[in-house]
Amino acid sequence: MSTAPVTLGSMNTTLRDAAPDDLVLSCAGLKRTAASQLILDVERLDLTRGRTYLLSGANGAGKTTLLRVLAGLDRATCARFLFDGAPVDLAKYPERMRRQLGFVQHHPMLFSTSVQANIAFGLRAAGASGAEVKRRAAAAIEWAGIGALVNRPPRGLSAGEKQRVALARAHALDPGLYLLDEPTANLDDNGKELVTRLIDAIGAEGRTLLIACHDRDLLGLPGVVRLHMTNGRLDNSL
Amino acid sequence: MELIETTRQALELLVSGDSGLWRIVWVSLKISVGALILISPLAIAAGYLLATQSFPGRRLIVVITQALFAFPTVVVGLLLYMLLSRQGPLGSLQLLFTQTAMMIGQMLIAAPILVAFTLSAVQGADPRVRETAIVLGAGRLRTALTVLGEVRFGVMAAVFNGFGRVISEVGCALMVGGNIAGMTRNMPTAIALETTKGEFAQGVALGIVLMALALGVNFAMSWAQGAGAQRQ
Repeated sequence: MSTAPVTLGSMNTTLRDAAPDDLVLSCAGLKRTAASQLILDVERLDLTRGRTYLLSGANGAGKTTLLRVLAGLDRATCARFLFDGAPVDLAKYPERMRRQLGFVQHHPMLFSTSVQANIAFGLRAAGASGAEVKRRAAAAIEWAGIGALVNRPPRGLSAGEKQRVALARAHALDPGLYLLDEPTANLDDNGKELVTRLIDAIGAEGRTLLIACHDRDLLGLPGVVRLHMTNGRLDNSL
Repeated sequence: MELIETTRQALELLVSGDSGLWRIVWVSLKISVGALILISPLAIAAGYLLATQSFPGRRLIVVITQALFAFPTVVVGLLLYMLLSRQGPLGSLQLLFTQTAMMIGQMLIAAPILVAFTLSAVQGADPRVRETAIVLGAGRLRTALTVLGEVRFGVMAAVFNGFGRVISEVGCALMVGGNIAGMTRNMPTAIALETTKGEFAQGVALGIVLMALALGVNFAMSWAQGAGAQRQ
């Protein structure tokens, strides 16, 4: 495990300064309130390009909320938010940022079309041509090693297979930052190993990953930076 | 004995391909299917928006839609008659006693059913469908079509239900159609007329067609709901 160019949580402790250009995401004063309660209060979070961050914390600590806010699914306020060095207004979540984020939910949802159509979905949404969609979807299928699943109905896939299809679907869009919510939770050993390999491969491609997880197996990934959340706040207790 | 004889005559009419009878069936299907084709996209879109957007007055619209669900068709006919009659605000369009007027009436009758069923289907959808479409970069239209695609059996049930309601309604069709032979005479209005004339055979024959359609729609609806439930 390496020391990291990350500024952590409420204690605002910089472990190592990163040049602004190295930061794929940088935010300060990120807050989300629900039912009049402050459920997310991140004083500062900087994610350096090419790093893998493991976000741990008890159930309800705010890990999923943080990922959902970053993915633009939940509203939040932020004093300062930079993505790829450019300021972002979270209230008007920009398309540019959406295209650069690959969010895979805990228990990923696959549309009840086909595995192929699921992987092509984001490419079609981005307006890629038919040939481009076919080429990139085929590449993503090969990358994830899910060729044997292509003709199976998505609802018949195991949890591990669904997770790999979801990772392939995100990978087809080639995002710079992956947000993965408990990607190996509830998987058997084989499923866990295959998914971990894909996550490792994403890291090896120089992409940034922020992974909410309880799984100690992921701690073995190279260059992992550990973050910890308690009561909606990031801390540096690790 | 009279019932048996009437039924025999009705079956004969059906089998013999009586042009007057099948013309009535054609008018019915043309108007009802046409009305559904025209209103379904709008009503399904409205149901989707009500299910996914929050805005002031949304709750009131939902309550009104559900209330219109049970609105008597004859009252819809009356309101439409007043709008389309020569002295009415839309009298200049000269639509009264035309198939277009009947179609408009049936669209008004089907709309609340389609909206309410779609609303319910979309509200019952897994929220991750919409979220997944959004994070994969889908715009509003693609997201809506994706969600509606995932709840397609619920939406199909909405359309079948709407068809079941309009194909058999008599009040509005009679008021704004006028029951003109070969033009605006559909199955329910023809049955009502033939019965008052004491001509039961054609009424029974049309009743058989109507019941067959109603049964077919019910089977289709049960299939759609069953298929939808299986996917949960």
